[in-house]
Amino acid sequence: MTTLIAFFDKLGPEMLQRTYEHVYLTFLAVVIATAIALPLGVFLARSSWTRFTNVVMGAAGIIQTVPSLALIAFIVLLFALIALPTLGAFPALVALVLYGLLPILRNTYTGIRQVDPSVLDVATGMGMTPHQVLFQVELPLSLPVIMAGIRISTVWTIGVATLCGLIGAGGLGDLIIKGLRSIQMDYLIAGTVPAGLLAILFDTILAWLERWLSPVTLSEASGEASA
Amino acid sequence: MIQFQSVSKRFPNGVDAVRDLTLEVQEGETLVLLGTSGCGKTTTLRMVNRLTEPTSGCIQIAGENVLDQNPILLRRKIGYAIQHIGLFPHMTVGENIAVVPRLLNWSPERIGARVDEMIAMIGLDPNEVRDRYPPQLSGGQRQRIGVARALAADPRIVLMDEPFGALDPITREQLQNEFLELESEIKKTILFVTHDLFEAVKMGDRIALLDEGRLQQTATPSELVEHPANEFVDQFLGQHRFHLSLLTRSVGTLLRADQERAFDGPPSATCLRARDSFVDALDMFRQSGADSLPVRRGRVLLGILERSALLDAISEVFGLTDARI
Repeated sequence: MTTLIAFFDKLGPEMLQRTYEHVYLTFLAVVIATAIALPLGVFLARSSWTRFTNVVMGAAGIIQTVPSLALIAFIVLLFALIALPTLGAFPALVALVLYGLLPILRNTYTGIRQVDPSVLDVATGMGMTPHQVLFQVELPLSLPVIMAGIRISTVWTIGVATLCGLIGAGGLGDLIIKGLRSIQMDYLIAGTVPAGLLAILFDTILAWLERWLSPVTLSEASGEASA
Repeated sequence: MIQFQSVSKRFPNGVDAVRDLTLEVQEGETLVLLGTSGCGKTTTLRMVNRLTEPTSGCIQIAGENVLDQNPILLRRKIGYAIQHIGLFPHMTVGENIAVVPRLLNWSPERIGARVDEMIAMIGLDPNEVRDRYPPQLSGGQRQRIGVARALAADPRIVLMDEPFGALDPITREQLQNEFLELESEIKKTILFVTHDLFEAVKMGDRIALLDEGRLQQTATPSELVEHPANEFVDQFLGQHRFHLSLLTRSVGTLLRADQERAFDGPPSATCLRARDSFVDALDMFRQSGADSLPVRRGRVLLGILERSALLDAISEVFGLTDARI
Protein backbone atom coordinates (compact mmCIF):
# COMPACT_ATOMS: atom_id res chain seq x y z
CA MET A 1 0.00 0.00 0.00
CA THR A 2 2.70 2.42 0.97
CA THR A 3 4.62 1.56 -2.20
CA LEU A 4 1.54 2.33 -4.22
CA ILE A 5 1.15 5.70 -2.54
CA ALA A 6 4.81 6.40 -3.12
CA PHE A 7 4.41 5.38 -6.76
CA PHE A 8 1.58 7.79 -7.42
CA ASP A 9 3.26 10.45 -5.35
CA LYS A 10 6.26 10.28 -7.62
CA LEU A 11 4.65 9.66 -11.01
CA GLY A 12 0.95 10.51 -10.66
CA PRO A 13 1.03 14.04 -12.11
CA GLU A 14 3.24 13.03 -15.02
CA MET A 15 1.05 9.98 -15.75
CA LEU A 16 -2.00 12.23 -15.92
CA GLN A 17 -0.23 14.68 -18.20
CA ARG A 18 1.07 11.92 -20.51
CA THR A 19 -2.28 10.14 -20.62
CA TYR A 20 -3.92 13.38 -21.61
CA GLU A 21 -1.37 13.87 -24.41
CA HIS A 22 -1.83 10.29 -25.50
CA VAL A 23 -5.62 10.57 -25.71
CA TYR A 24 -5.34 13.92 -27.45
CA LEU A 25 -2.94 12.56 -30.08
CA THR A 26 -4.98 9.43 -30.66
CA PHE A 27 -8.27 11.29 -30.85
CA LEU A 28 -6.93 13.82 -33.33
CA ALA A 29 -5.36 11.10 -35.47
CA VAL A 30 -8.55 9.01 -35.59
CA VAL A 31 -10.71 12.02 -36.39
CA ILE A 32 -8.43 13.05 -39.26
CA ALA A 33 -8.12 9.46 -40.50
CA THR A 34 -11.91 9.11 -40.47
CA ALA A 35 -12.35 12.43 -42.24
CA ILE A 36 -10.12 11.12 -45.04
CA ALA A 37 -10.99 7.42 -45.17
CA LEU A 38 -14.78 7.62 -44.83
CA PRO A 39 -15.48 9.84 -47.87
CA LEU A 40 -12.77 8.04 -49.82
CA GLY A 41 -14.27 4.64 -48.97
CA VAL A 42 -17.74 5.83 -49.98
CA PHE A 43 -16.37 7.20 -53.21
CA LEU A 44 -14.48 4.00 -54.04
CA ALA A 45 -17.45 1.78 -53.21
CA ARG A 46 -19.74 3.73 -55.50
CA SER A 47 -17.33 4.22 -58.38
CA SER A 48 -16.99 1.63 -61.09
CA TRP A 49 -13.35 2.56 -61.46
CA THR A 50 -11.97 -0.78 -60.32
CA ARG A 51 -8.35 -0.21 -61.18
CA PHE A 52 -8.16 3.00 -59.17
CA THR A 53 -9.92 1.30 -56.26
CA ASN A 54 -7.37 -1.51 -56.31
CA VAL A 55 -4.49 0.96 -56.33
CA VAL A 56 -5.83 2.92 -53.36
CA MET A 57 -6.72 -0.14 -51.31
CA GLY A 58 -3.34 -1.65 -52.16
CA ALA A 59 -1.49 1.47 -51.07
CA ALA A 60 -3.38 1.57 -47.78
CA GLY A 61 -2.56 -2.10 -47.32
CA ILE A 62 1.15 -1.53 -47.97
CA ILE A 63 1.31 1.27 -45.40
CA GLN A 64 -0.15 -1.22 -42.95
CA THR A 65 2.60 -3.77 -43.58
CA VAL A 66 5.38 -1.31 -42.76
CA PRO A 67 6.38 -1.82 -39.10
CA SER A 68 5.05 1.11 -37.13
CA LEU A 69 8.50 2.01 -35.83
CA ALA A 70 9.84 2.10 -39.39
CA LEU A 71 6.90 4.20 -40.56
CA ILE A 72 7.67 6.82 -37.95
CA ALA A 73 11.36 6.74 -38.90
CA PHE A 74 10.50 7.16 -42.59
CA ILE A 75 8.30 10.14 -41.86
CA VAL A 76 10.98 11.80 -39.78
CA LEU A 77 13.57 11.30 -42.54
CA LEU A 78 11.16 12.44 -45.22
CA PHE A 79 10.27 15.54 -43.21
CA ALA A 80 13.99 16.26 -42.69
CA LEU A 81 14.47 16.13 -46.48
CA ILE A 82 11.66 18.55 -47.20
CA ALA A 83 12.49 20.78 -44.24
CA LEU A 84 9.39 20.11 -42.16
CA PRO A 85 9.62 19.72 -38.38
CA THR A 86 11.02 16.31 -37.48
CA LEU A 87 10.23 16.45 -33.77
CA GLY A 88 7.04 16.86 -31.80
CA ALA A 89 3.37 16.19 -32.43
CA PHE A 90 3.17 17.03 -36.13
CA PRO A 91 5.24 14.19 -37.65
CA ALA A 92 3.75 11.84 -35.06
CA LEU A 93 0.26 12.81 -36.10
CA VAL A 94 1.03 12.23 -39.78
CA ALA A 95 2.34 8.74 -39.02
CA LEU A 96 -0.68 7.88 -36.87
CA VAL A 97 -3.15 9.10 -39.48
CA LEU A 98 -1.48 7.05 -42.21
CA TYR A 99 -1.53 4.04 -39.97
CA GLY A 100 -5.15 4.46 -38.94
CA LEU A 101 -6.51 4.94 -42.47
CA LEU A 102 -6.69 1.37 -43.63
CA PRO A 103 -9.24 -0.21 -41.25
CA ILE A 104 -11.66 2.68 -41.75
CA LEU A 105 -11.16 2.75 -45.51
CA ARG A 106 -11.53 -1.00 -45.87
CA ASN A 107 -14.58 -1.24 -43.64
CA THR A 108 -16.34 1.69 -45.28
CA TYR A 109 -15.73 0.14 -48.67
CA THR A 110 -16.92 -3.32 -47.62
CA GLY A 111 -19.80 -1.89 -45.58
CA ILE A 112 -21.22 0.01 -48.54
CA ARG A 113 -20.54 -2.84 -50.95
CA GLN A 114 -22.36 -5.42 -48.81
CA VAL A 115 -25.67 -3.54 -48.83
CA ASP A 116 -28.24 -5.83 -50.46
CA PRO A 117 -28.46 -4.86 -54.17
CA SER A 118 -32.22 -5.41 -54.21
CA VAL A 119 -32.60 -2.82 -51.44
CA LEU A 120 -30.68 -0.34 -53.59
CA ASP A 121 -32.72 -1.27 -56.64
CA VAL A 122 -35.96 -0.54 -54.81
CA ALA A 123 -34.59 2.66 -53.30
CA THR A 124 -33.75 3.95 -56.76
CA GLY A 125 -36.92 2.51 -58.28
CA MET A 126 -39.07 4.35 -55.77
CA GLY A 127 -37.50 7.64 -56.74
CA MET A 128 -34.70 8.37 -54.28
CA THR A 129 -31.93 10.60 -55.61
CA PRO A 130 -28.39 9.12 -55.46
CA HIS A 131 -27.78 11.46 -52.52
CA GLN A 132 -30.85 10.13 -50.68
CA VAL A 133 -29.85 6.54 -51.43
CA LEU A 134 -26.45 7.22 -49.85
CA PHE A 135 -27.64 9.01 -46.72
CA GLN A 136 -30.92 7.21 -46.09
CA VAL A 137 -30.00 3.69 -47.12
CA GLU A 138 -26.34 2.90 -47.77
CA LEU A 139 -24.72 4.75 -44.87
CA PRO A 140 -27.24 3.71 -42.18
CA LEU A 141 -26.98 0.09 -43.32
CA SER A 142 -23.18 0.07 -43.33
CA LEU A 143 -22.76 2.14 -40.17
CA PRO A 144 -22.05 -0.87 -37.89
CA VAL A 145 -19.28 -2.05 -40.21
CA ILE A 146 -17.83 1.45 -40.53
CA MET A 147 -17.91 1.86 -36.72
CA ALA A 148 -16.06 -1.44 -36.38
CA GLY A 149 -13.35 -0.01 -38.63
CA ILE A 150 -13.09 3.13 -36.52
CA ARG A 151 -12.84 0.96 -33.42
CA ILE A 152 -10.00 -1.14 -34.81
CA SER A 153 -8.24 2.00 -35.98
CA THR A 154 -8.57 3.61 -32.54
CA VAL A 155 -7.16 0.62 -30.67
CA TRP A 156 -4.22 0.36 -33.09
CA THR A 157 -3.52 4.06 -32.85
CA ILE A 158 -3.42 3.92 -29.05
CA GLY A 159 -0.76 1.25 -29.34
CA VAL A 160 1.29 2.91 -32.07
CA ALA A 161 1.07 6.29 -30.33
CA THR A 162 3.40 4.99 -27.58
CA LEU A 163 6.17 4.95 -30.19
CA CYS A 164 5.65 8.63 -30.83
CA GLY A 165 7.44 9.31 -27.55
CA LEU A 166 10.59 8.58 -29.54
CA ILE A 167 10.22 11.75 -31.56
CA GLY A 168 9.22 13.93 -28.68
CA ALA A 169 5.50 13.91 -29.32
CA GLY A 170 4.78 13.23 -25.66
CA GLY A 171 2.19 10.67 -24.62
CA LEU A 172 2.62 7.55 -22.54
CA GLY A 173 5.50 6.40 -24.72
CA ASP A 174 7.56 9.11 -23.09
CA LEU A 175 7.32 7.34 -19.72
CA ILE A 176 8.19 3.99 -21.26
CA ILE A 177 11.28 5.40 -22.96
CA LYS A 178 12.37 7.09 -19.76
CA GLY A 179 12.00 3.78 -17.94
CA LEU A 180 14.01 1.99 -20.60
CA ARG A 181 16.84 4.51 -20.62
CA SER A 182 17.18 4.83 -16.87
CA ILE A 183 16.30 1.18 -16.16
CA GLN A 184 13.47 2.11 -13.80
CA MET A 185 10.60 -0.34 -13.61
CA ASP A 186 8.13 2.15 -12.12
CA TYR A 187 8.37 4.42 -15.20
CA LEU A 188 7.78 1.45 -17.48
CA ILE A 189 4.69 0.47 -15.54
CA ALA A 190 3.44 4.06 -15.39
CA GLY A 191 3.54 4.17 -19.19
CA THR A 192 2.37 0.68 -20.07
CA VAL A 193 -0.58 0.11 -17.76
CA PRO A 194 -2.49 3.31 -18.68
CA ALA A 195 -1.87 2.60 -22.39
CA GLY A 196 -3.37 -0.86 -21.99
CA LEU A 197 -6.28 0.46 -19.97
CA LEU A 198 -6.92 3.15 -22.55
CA ALA A 199 -7.08 0.58 -25.33
CA ILE A 200 -9.54 -1.55 -23.37
CA LEU A 201 -11.63 1.47 -22.40
CA PHE A 202 -11.93 2.83 -25.95
CA ASP A 203 -12.54 -0.61 -27.36
CA THR A 204 -15.43 -1.12 -24.93
CA ILE A 205 -16.97 2.30 -25.50
CA LEU A 206 -16.78 2.02 -29.27
CA ALA A 207 -18.08 -1.56 -29.27
CA TRP A 208 -21.05 -0.34 -27.29
CA LEU A 209 -21.57 2.55 -29.68
CA GLU A 210 -21.36 0.14 -32.60
CA ARG A 211 -24.12 -2.06 -31.16
CA TRP A 212 -26.20 0.96 -30.33
CA LEU A 213 -25.97 2.20 -33.92
CA SER A 214 -26.79 -1.18 -35.47
CA PRO A 215 -30.31 -1.55 -36.82
CA VAL A 216 -32.01 -3.24 -33.87
CA THR A 217 -33.12 -6.19 -35.80
CA LEU A 218 -30.01 -7.27 -37.64
CA SER A 219 -28.54 -8.69 -34.48
CA GLU A 220 -31.29 -9.87 -32.20
CA ALA A 221 -34.55 -10.58 -33.91
CA SER A 222 -33.89 -12.34 -37.18
CA GLY A 223 -35.10 -15.68 -35.87
CA GLU A 224 -38.29 -14.40 -34.31
CA ALA A 225 -40.48 -14.37 -37.40
CA SER A 226 -43.83 -16.10 -37.27
CA ALA A 227 -46.25 -16.92 -40.06
CA MET B 1 -51.80 4.08 -70.47
CA ILE B 2 -48.33 2.66 -71.13
CA GLN B 3 -47.26 2.35 -74.75
CA PHE B 4 -44.18 0.63 -76.02
CA GLN B 5 -43.37 1.59 -79.62
CA SER B 6 -40.71 -0.51 -81.33
CA VAL B 7 -38.68 -0.63 -78.15
CA SER B 8 -35.34 -2.42 -78.24
CA LYS B 9 -32.68 -2.84 -75.63
CA ARG B 10 -29.19 -4.05 -76.31
CA PHE B 11 -26.91 -4.26 -73.29
CA PRO B 12 -23.27 -3.15 -73.54
CA ASN B 13 -22.22 -6.81 -73.49
CA GLY B 14 -24.04 -7.30 -76.79
CA VAL B 15 -27.09 -9.14 -75.44
CA ASP B 16 -30.34 -8.15 -77.12
CA ALA B 17 -32.72 -8.24 -74.18
CA VAL B 18 -35.73 -6.73 -75.91
CA ARG B 19 -36.27 -6.63 -79.69
CA ASP B 20 -38.70 -4.33 -81.40
CA LEU B 21 -41.42 -4.55 -78.78
CA THR B 22 -44.72 -2.84 -79.46
CA LEU B 23 -47.29 -3.22 -76.75
CA GLU B 24 -49.93 -1.20 -75.00
CA VAL B 25 -51.05 -1.55 -71.40
CA GLN B 26 -54.61 -0.30 -71.07
CA GLU B 27 -55.69 1.93 -68.22
CA GLY B 28 -56.83 -0.16 -65.25
CA GLU B 29 -55.76 -3.53 -66.60
CA THR B 30 -53.21 -5.97 -65.27
CA LEU B 31 -50.88 -6.95 -68.08
CA VAL B 32 -48.61 -9.87 -67.30
CA LEU B 33 -45.23 -10.11 -68.99
CA LEU B 34 -44.63 -13.84 -69.13
CA GLY B 35 -41.62 -15.82 -70.24
CA THR B 36 -38.64 -17.89 -69.21
CA SER B 37 -35.68 -16.23 -67.52
CA GLY B 38 -33.68 -14.14 -69.93
CA CYS B 39 -36.66 -13.44 -72.18
CA GLY B 40 -36.50 -9.70 -71.52
CA LYS B 41 -39.57 -9.34 -69.31
CA THR B 42 -37.76 -7.69 -66.39
CA THR B 43 -35.82 -5.41 -68.75
CA THR B 44 -39.13 -4.36 -70.32
CA LEU B 45 -40.54 -3.56 -66.88
CA ARG B 46 -37.46 -1.62 -65.80
CA MET B 47 -37.57 0.56 -68.90
CA VAL B 48 -40.92 1.98 -67.79
CA ASN B 49 -39.46 3.70 -64.72
CA ARG B 50 -36.11 4.24 -66.41
CA LEU B 51 -34.06 1.92 -64.25
CA THR B 52 -32.94 0.76 -67.68
CA GLU B 53 -32.89 3.01 -70.75
CA PRO B 54 -34.06 1.66 -74.10
CA THR B 55 -31.55 1.55 -76.95
CA SER B 56 -34.20 2.57 -79.44
CA GLY B 57 -37.93 3.07 -79.62
CA CYS B 58 -40.23 5.04 -77.42
CA ILE B 59 -42.13 4.40 -74.21
CA GLN B 60 -45.04 6.68 -73.40
CA ILE B 61 -47.05 6.98 -70.24
CA ALA B 62 -50.38 8.71 -70.81
CA GLY B 63 -49.00 10.08 -74.07
CA GLU B 64 -45.77 11.46 -72.59
CA ASN B 65 -42.41 10.01 -73.51
CA VAL B 66 -40.72 8.76 -70.34
CA LEU B 67 -37.33 9.84 -71.66
CA ASP B 68 -38.53 13.47 -71.57
CA GLN B 69 -39.31 13.24 -67.86
CA ASN B 70 -37.08 13.61 -64.84
CA PRO B 71 -36.42 9.97 -63.86
CA ILE B 72 -36.58 10.74 -60.12
CA LEU B 73 -39.99 12.41 -60.33
CA LEU B 74 -41.21 9.78 -62.79
CA ARG B 75 -40.34 6.95 -60.39
CA ARG B 76 -42.14 8.59 -57.48
CA LYS B 77 -45.33 8.45 -59.52
CA ILE B 78 -44.97 4.74 -60.28
CA GLY B 79 -45.33 1.95 -57.72
CA TYR B 80 -42.50 -0.59 -57.70
CA ALA B 81 -42.40 -4.00 -56.03
CA ILE B 82 -39.89 -6.78 -56.64
CA GLN B 83 -39.36 -10.42 -55.78
CA HIS B 84 -36.61 -9.72 -53.27
CA ILE B 85 -38.95 -7.17 -51.67
CA GLY B 86 -36.04 -4.93 -50.70
CA LEU B 87 -37.63 -3.64 -47.51
CA PHE B 88 -35.19 -1.36 -45.73
CA PRO B 89 -34.07 -3.43 -42.73
CA HIS B 90 -33.08 -0.36 -40.70
CA MET B 91 -36.51 1.22 -41.01
CA THR B 92 -39.70 0.14 -39.28
CA VAL B 93 -42.61 -1.18 -41.30
CA GLY B 94 -44.26 2.23 -40.98
CA GLU B 95 -41.16 4.05 -42.18
CA ASN B 96 -40.82 1.65 -45.11
CA ILE B 97 -44.36 2.28 -46.27
CA ALA B 98 -43.86 6.02 -45.78
CA VAL B 99 -40.82 6.26 -48.09
CA VAL B 100 -42.47 7.56 -51.24
CA PRO B 101 -45.03 9.79 -49.46
CA ARG B 102 -42.07 11.29 -47.60
CA LEU B 103 -40.16 11.81 -50.84
CA LEU B 104 -43.27 13.59 -52.10
CA ASN B 105 -43.28 15.81 -48.99
CA TRP B 106 -46.66 14.78 -47.65
CA SER B 107 -47.51 16.21 -44.23
CA PRO B 108 -46.67 13.95 -41.26
CA GLU B 109 -50.37 13.59 -40.35
CA ARG B 110 -51.28 12.52 -43.86
CA ILE B 111 -48.36 10.06 -43.94
CA GLY B 112 -49.32 8.58 -40.56
CA ALA B 113 -52.92 8.09 -41.62
CA ARG B 114 -51.87 6.60 -44.96
CA VAL B 115 -49.45 4.15 -43.32
CA ASP B 116 -52.16 2.81 -41.03
CA GLU B 117 -54.60 2.65 -43.91
CA MET B 118 -52.15 0.64 -46.02
CA ILE B 119 -51.29 -1.78 -43.21
CA ALA B 120 -54.98 -2.40 -42.59
CA MET B 121 -55.55 -2.83 -46.32
CA ILE B 122 -53.08 -5.72 -46.52
CA GLY B 123 -54.86 -7.40 -43.62
CA LEU B 124 -52.45 -6.66 -40.79
CA ASP B 125 -52.97 -4.79 -37.54
CA PRO B 126 -51.36 -1.32 -37.73
CA ASN B 127 -50.74 -1.16 -33.98
CA GLU B 128 -49.01 -4.50 -34.04
CA VAL B 129 -46.68 -4.16 -37.03
CA ARG B 130 -46.19 -0.42 -37.58
CA ASP B 131 -43.15 -0.13 -35.31
CA ARG B 132 -41.61 -3.52 -35.98
CA TYR B 133 -38.62 -4.09 -38.22
CA PRO B 134 -38.80 -6.20 -41.39
CA PRO B 135 -36.50 -8.99 -40.13
CA GLN B 136 -38.99 -9.55 -37.30
CA LEU B 137 -41.73 -10.51 -39.76
CA SER B 138 -42.51 -13.63 -41.77
CA GLY B 139 -41.86 -13.85 -45.51
CA GLY B 140 -45.55 -13.46 -46.31
CA GLN B 141 -45.90 -10.39 -44.10
CA ARG B 142 -42.81 -8.82 -45.61
CA GLN B 143 -44.11 -9.40 -49.12
CA ARG B 144 -47.47 -7.84 -48.23
CA ILE B 145 -45.64 -4.81 -46.87
CA GLY B 146 -43.60 -4.62 -50.06
CA VAL B 147 -46.87 -4.40 -51.98
CA ALA B 148 -48.32 -1.85 -49.53
CA ARG B 149 -45.19 0.25 -49.93
CA ALA B 150 -45.54 0.21 -53.70
CA LEU B 151 -49.13 1.41 -53.39
CA ALA B 152 -48.59 3.92 -50.58
CA ALA B 153 -48.49 7.10 -52.64
CA ASP B 154 -51.52 5.94 -54.65
CA PRO B 155 -49.70 5.69 -58.00
CA ARG B 156 -51.77 5.14 -61.13
CA ILE B 157 -49.23 2.65 -62.44
CA VAL B 158 -47.65 -0.18 -60.49
CA LEU B 159 -44.71 -2.27 -61.69
CA MET B 160 -44.42 -5.68 -60.06
CA ASP B 161 -41.49 -7.99 -60.78
CA GLU B 162 -42.37 -11.48 -59.54
CA PRO B 163 -43.74 -9.99 -56.34
CA PHE B 164 -44.79 -13.38 -54.99
CA GLY B 165 -41.86 -15.33 -56.40
CA ALA B 166 -39.95 -15.90 -53.18
CA LEU B 167 -42.85 -17.41 -51.24
CA ASP B 168 -43.88 -20.99 -50.56
CA PRO B 169 -46.77 -22.20 -52.76
CA ILE B 170 -49.44 -21.90 -50.06
CA THR B 171 -48.51 -18.39 -48.96
CA ARG B 172 -48.10 -17.40 -52.59
CA GLU B 173 -51.62 -18.49 -53.47
CA GLN B 174 -52.99 -16.71 -50.42
CA LEU B 175 -51.23 -13.48 -51.40
CA GLN B 176 -52.33 -13.80 -55.01
CA ASN B 177 -55.95 -14.08 -53.88
CA GLU B 178 -55.61 -11.16 -51.49
CA PHE B 179 -54.03 -9.07 -54.20
CA LEU B 180 -56.78 -9.89 -56.71
CA GLU B 181 -59.35 -8.87 -54.12
CA LEU B 182 -57.43 -5.67 -53.39
CA GLU B 183 -56.84 -4.95 -57.04
CA SER B 184 -60.54 -5.18 -57.88
CA GLU B 185 -61.11 -2.33 -55.42
CA ILE B 186 -58.21 -0.02 -56.26
CA LYS B 187 -58.09 -0.54 -60.03
CA LYS B 188 -54.54 0.31 -60.94
CA THR B 189 -52.74 -0.10 -64.23
CA ILE B 190 -50.39 -2.93 -63.41
CA LEU B 191 -47.46 -4.35 -65.32
CA PHE B 192 -46.71 -7.69 -63.72
CA VAL B 193 -43.69 -9.87 -64.51
CA THR B 194 -43.67 -13.59 -63.88
CA HIS B 195 -42.22 -16.79 -65.30
CA ASP B 196 -45.09 -18.81 -63.81
CA LEU B 197 -47.76 -19.64 -66.38
CA PHE B 198 -50.37 -20.34 -63.72
CA GLU B 199 -49.68 -17.10 -61.92
CA ALA B 200 -49.98 -15.26 -65.25
CA VAL B 201 -53.33 -16.87 -66.00
CA LYS B 202 -54.56 -16.10 -62.52
CA MET B 203 -53.39 -12.50 -62.19
CA GLY B 204 -53.55 -11.16 -65.72
CA ASP B 205 -56.35 -9.45 -67.60
CA ARG B 206 -54.03 -9.94 -70.55
CA ILE B 207 -50.78 -11.80 -70.98
CA ALA B 208 -47.85 -10.81 -73.16
CA LEU B 209 -45.66 -13.82 -73.79
CA LEU B 210 -42.03 -13.04 -74.59
CA ASP B 211 -39.23 -15.21 -75.88
CA GLU B 212 -35.67 -14.04 -76.48
CA GLY B 213 -36.80 -10.44 -76.33
CA ARG B 214 -39.54 -10.87 -78.92
CA LEU B 215 -43.24 -10.62 -78.25
CA GLN B 216 -44.88 -13.93 -79.18
CA GLN B 217 -48.50 -13.23 -78.36
CA THR B 218 -50.62 -10.74 -76.46
CA ALA B 219 -53.98 -12.11 -75.45
CA THR B 220 -56.40 -12.67 -72.61
CA PRO B 221 -55.56 -15.79 -70.62
CA SER B 222 -58.34 -17.80 -72.23
CA GLU B 223 -57.42 -16.68 -75.77
CA LEU B 224 -53.82 -17.59 -75.10
CA VAL B 225 -54.78 -21.03 -73.88
CA GLU B 226 -57.41 -21.71 -76.56
CA HIS B 227 -55.68 -20.08 -79.52
CA PRO B 228 -51.90 -20.13 -79.23
CA ALA B 229 -50.54 -17.84 -81.95
CA ASN B 230 -47.54 -19.95 -82.87
CA GLU B 231 -45.48 -23.03 -82.17
CA PHE B 232 -43.60 -21.39 -79.31
CA VAL B 233 -46.75 -20.41 -77.41
CA ASP B 234 -48.12 -23.89 -77.94
CA GLN B 235 -44.97 -25.45 -76.53
CA PHE B 236 -44.89 -23.02 -73.64
CA LEU B 237 -48.37 -24.14 -72.59
CA GLY B 238 -47.14 -27.73 -72.79
CA GLN B 239 -49.19 -30.38 -71.08
CA HIS B 240 -50.97 -27.89 -68.85
CA ARG B 241 -53.53 -26.98 -71.49
CA PHE B 242 -56.48 -28.82 -69.96
CA HIS B 243 -55.76 -27.51 -66.48
CA LEU B 244 -55.25 -23.99 -67.86
CA SER B 245 -58.50 -24.16 -69.80
CA LEU B 246 -60.31 -24.91 -66.57
CA LEU B 247 -58.47 -22.08 -64.84
CA THR B 248 -59.31 -19.53 -67.51
CA ARG B 249 -63.03 -20.28 -67.51
CA SER B 250 -65.05 -18.58 -64.83
CA VAL B 251 -68.19 -19.98 -63.27
CA GLY B 252 -70.00 -16.74 -64.15
CA THR B 253 -70.24 -17.97 -67.73
CA LEU B 254 -72.25 -21.04 -66.70
CA LEU B 255 -75.20 -19.04 -65.39
CA ARG B 256 -78.12 -17.64 -67.29
CA ALA B 257 -78.20 -13.88 -67.11
CA ASP B 258 -81.84 -13.59 -66.04
CA GLN B 259 -81.48 -14.98 -62.51
CA GLU B 260 -79.81 -11.95 -60.90
CA ARG B 261 -81.16 -10.65 -57.62
CA ALA B 262 -79.83 -8.97 -54.46
CA PHE B 263 -77.81 -11.28 -52.26
CA ASP B 264 -79.37 -11.42 -48.80
CA GLY B 265 -77.40 -14.24 -47.20
CA PRO B 266 -74.75 -13.64 -44.51
CA PRO B 267 -71.36 -12.52 -45.89
CA SER B 268 -69.79 -15.65 -44.48
CA ALA B 269 -72.06 -18.01 -46.43
CA THR B 270 -70.30 -20.48 -48.72
CA CYS B 271 -70.48 -18.79 -52.07
CA LEU B 272 -68.72 -18.83 -55.39
CA ARG B 273 -67.64 -15.55 -56.92
CA ALA B 274 -68.43 -14.95 -60.57
CA ARG B 275 -64.78 -14.80 -61.58
CA ASP B 276 -63.83 -18.00 -59.73
CA SER B 277 -62.42 -20.54 -62.16
CA PHE B 278 -63.77 -24.05 -62.77
CA VAL B 279 -60.90 -25.32 -60.62
CA ASP B 280 -61.88 -23.04 -57.72
CA ALA B 281 -65.48 -24.19 -58.09
CA LEU B 282 -64.49 -27.84 -58.10
CA ASP B 283 -62.52 -27.28 -54.89
CA MET B 284 -65.45 -25.50 -53.30
CA PHE B 285 -67.87 -28.30 -54.16
CA ARG B 286 -65.47 -30.84 -52.77
CA GLN B 287 -64.88 -28.94 -49.54
CA SER B 288 -68.51 -28.08 -48.87
CA GLY B 289 -69.97 -31.37 -50.08
CA ALA B 290 -72.92 -29.40 -51.48
CA ASP B 291 -74.73 -30.26 -54.72
CA SER B 292 -75.35 -26.64 -55.59
CA LEU B 293 -73.75 -23.35 -54.61
CA PRO B 294 -74.84 -19.72 -54.96
CA VAL B 295 -72.68 -17.51 -57.21
CA ARG B 296 -72.33 -13.83 -56.47
CA ARG B 297 -70.62 -10.77 -57.76
CA GLY B 298 -70.25 -8.31 -54.90
CA ARG B 299 -73.70 -7.99 -53.32
CA VAL B 300 -75.51 -9.39 -56.34
CA LEU B 301 -76.59 -13.00 -56.47
CA LEU B 302 -76.08 -14.18 -60.04
CA GLY B 303 -77.69 -17.56 -59.67
CA ILE B 304 -77.25 -21.08 -58.35
CA LEU B 305 -74.65 -23.39 -59.88
CA GLU B 306 -75.42 -27.11 -59.91
CA ARG B 307 -72.52 -29.47 -59.41
CA SER B 308 -73.64 -31.54 -62.37
CA ALA B 309 -73.66 -28.46 -64.63
CA LEU B 310 -70.05 -27.76 -63.65
CA LEU B 311 -69.00 -31.35 -64.33
CA ASP B 312 -70.71 -31.26 -67.74
CA ALA B 313 -68.87 -28.07 -68.60
CA ILE B 314 -65.57 -29.59 -67.51
CA SER B 315 -66.00 -32.69 -69.64
CA GLU B 316 -66.85 -30.47 -72.58
CA VAL B 317 -63.56 -28.59 -72.05
CA PHE B 318 -61.76 -31.91 -71.85
CA GLY B 319 -63.32 -32.93 -75.18
CA LEU B 320 -62.09 -29.68 -76.76
CA THR B 321 -58.54 -29.85 -75.50
CA ASP B 322 -58.31 -33.56 -76.09
CA ALA B 323 -59.35 -33.09 -79.70
CA ARG B 324 -56.56 -30.55 -80.19
CA ILE B 325 -53.85 -32.73 -78.72
